[in-house]
Amino acid sequence: MLTLLNVKKSFDSREVVKGVSLQVEKGESFGLLGPNGAGKSTLISMICGLVPFETGDIWIDGKLVSKNLKEIKQMIGVVPQDIALYPTMSALDNLVFWGRMYGLSGKDARSRAKEILEIVGLTERAKGRIETFSGGMKRRINIGAALMHRPKLLIMDEPTVGIDPQSRNHILETVKSLNEKGMTVIYTSHYMEEVEYLCKRIAIIDDGKLIASGTKKDLNNRLAGGTVLKLTVDSLHPLFIEQLKKLHGVEKVIVQPTYEIDIHLHSKMEIVAGVILLASQQGVHIQSMQLQEANLETLFLQLTGRSLRE
Amino acid sequence: MKSLLIAVKDAKIHLKDRKAILMMILMPILLTLILGSALKGVMGGGSMPETILGVYSPESNLMTKSIMKSLGENGLTITIEHAESEKQLMDWMEERAVHVGLLFPDGWGSGVEGNRAVIIPISGQETGATVIRRMIETVAQMSQAIENSTATVMAEAATLAAEDDINLEEIQNELTASIEQIVNEQRAYVIEPPKEESVSSMQYYAAAMAAMFLLFNAMAGGKSFHQERRSETLSRLMMTPASVRSILTGKFIGSFLFAWIQFLIFLGATRLLLKVDWGPSILQILFITFFYIFSVAGLAMVVAAFTTNEKMADVIGSMGVQVLALLGGSMLPLSLFPEIMRKIAMATPNSWALTSFISIMEGAPWSTLWLPAAVLLGIGVTAIFISSLRLGRRIA
Repeated sequence: MLTLLNVKKSFDSREVVKGVSLQVEKGESFGLLGPNGAGKSTLISMICGLVPFETGDIWIDGKLVSKNLKEIKQMIGVVPQDIALYPTMSALDNLVFWGRMYGLSGKDARSRAKEILEIVGLTERAKGRIETFSGGMKRRINIGAALMHRPKLLIMDEPTVGIDPQSRNHILETVKSLNEKGMTVIYTSHYMEEVEYLCKRIAIIDDGKLIASGTKKDLNNRLAGGTVLKLTVDSLHPLFIEQLKKLHGVEKVIVQPTYEIDIHLHSKMEIVAGVILLASQQGVHIQSMQLQEANLETLFLQLTGRSLRE
Repeated sequence: MKSLLIAVKDAKIHLKDRKAILMMILMPILLTLILGSALKGVMGGGSMPETILGVYSPESNLMTKSIMKSLGENGLTITIEHAESEKQLMDWMEERAVHVGLLFPDGWGSGVEGNRAVIIPISGQETGATVIRRMIETVAQMSQAIENSTATVMAEAATLAAEDDINLEEIQNELTASIEQIVNEQRAYVIEPPKEESVSSMQYYAAAMAAMFLLFNAMAGGKSFHQERRSETLSRLMMTPASVRSILTGKFIGSFLFAWIQFLIFLGATRLLLKVDWGPSILQILFITFFYIFSVAGLAMVVAAFTTNEKMADVIGSMGVQVLALLGGSMLPLSLFPEIMRKIAMATPNSWALTSFISIMEGAPWSTLWLPAAVLLGIGVTAIFISSLRLGRRIA
């Protein structure tokens, strides 16, 4: 459905997308995971034809984006990160307007808008002005507007930012259901639990580069053993850190400025006693200690040394 | 088609904005009412207020008859009401049933020293009172001159006629009539009745406010573009199959459409509520409005292209509208401007619209409208050309 081949983009002299290549199959739900500023939104803008890219190529359904832009736009539905709706217009009027912009007739747009309102669970608020809606309700209409023209590919850019858990669940269920009905979905977020829940395949992007991609299982396998021992200490004694790295079974030690130390282990090994001994020798007080199973967050941490939500 | 969808959407959004309605539709109607009423007595032409003159004269002589005749005949909007007594006249004044009171004392016009007519205006009717006082002075001087001439000639005639049986009274009457006729034929002054085509203050300010408040669409249109950008709806529009040209055309037509709605409501309200006469040809008014709104919608695109955000569009737009309104005669009548300012005013689109509206109200022929229409069209086309180059680059 979607193929990106060595796509690069710079703003002024800063390279924001650094040769990204990836492929999304028809009917797949694909997650694009990365912290804020990683280049996810720029990548989406390039897929939609909004931002031109310098090198590489993008194909959607076998068609080059750069040469078939109008056709491509008709094929994709984009849910932008911001609420891109007209606040003084009603939910119904907004949906009808966006439907008509994609070429639906007045009658078709109205009937489709009613369907969409049912999908997003806001039929009763059809005539309410968007400005009177809660954040979650606005997000649901924001998604609805992208579905009006029955796109083949739905691209969602952080669709759940700043909303209540109930609306988030509703949105996740809606996206899951759409995907189950055959719609190809690209879901970008920095909430790894959402991506883990919705997507079968995931790509992790950071600083404009694709640093890992594959199924959840593939990615977990990439984690060295997949276990992390998290410590909170009262001081970051350099000798203590150095000796931690030399402990048997430790692959990597990441020190956070908040007096937190993540010790990545090759396997679930018993190193707790050794860590406590080292700390007491160096006069470091351990305030908390937690053994964490591997997930995308720990993978991201392991790959970049930074948290997804930084 | 997509342009039209964007235009209709923009017009709907404007119409749902209460602040915009208040500012763009109610405000000009209110200002027309206030300025048109306040400056009714100050402006020239047809703005001479309609005055009800209450008169009490205990006796009717040649001079009072001449004055009443002059006041009634000179095409001025003076209605004369005769009071039975001085008290009745004062009562009328008290009740404001008359605007100006004219009280002739006993024996007025007989040359008695200090025997003067009294003119009393009620508050706000000083202009009418001044006009009446000047007319009375003129007529009184003329009548006095006739009477003096007749008296001199009659004194001579009486000496000559002492021996013969001549009817002196008959000669005096004939002589007075002849002198009066000569004086009337040869008098150096003429009291001009107001020209029929001259506009009233209410008409002027209706045209001026229409020109000024339609100009606010330039600011509103520019702001609307930045609102779309800020709220990301512009990006979303760009993700649809609509081209950049369709989007820009839609924004232009949106400003154009709302300005028409604004003008038609204003036109209807001023005609029905304020009884403003927009002249003999409403078609001419709509013709000039079309070109004026075209130029204003073009200026909206210029505001959008040369400002970077809503706040900047607001500040620059407001300043621009006020300067143009001042220069273009929307605040003070162009007739009060010195020659150089009138020439500068020709650079403003609202001045062309305003002067055209006034000409139409005065019954101007179609041929006088070609030039303003061409100028307004030129402003609009230039504005669209400049702004579309810049906007096209910015949003693509």
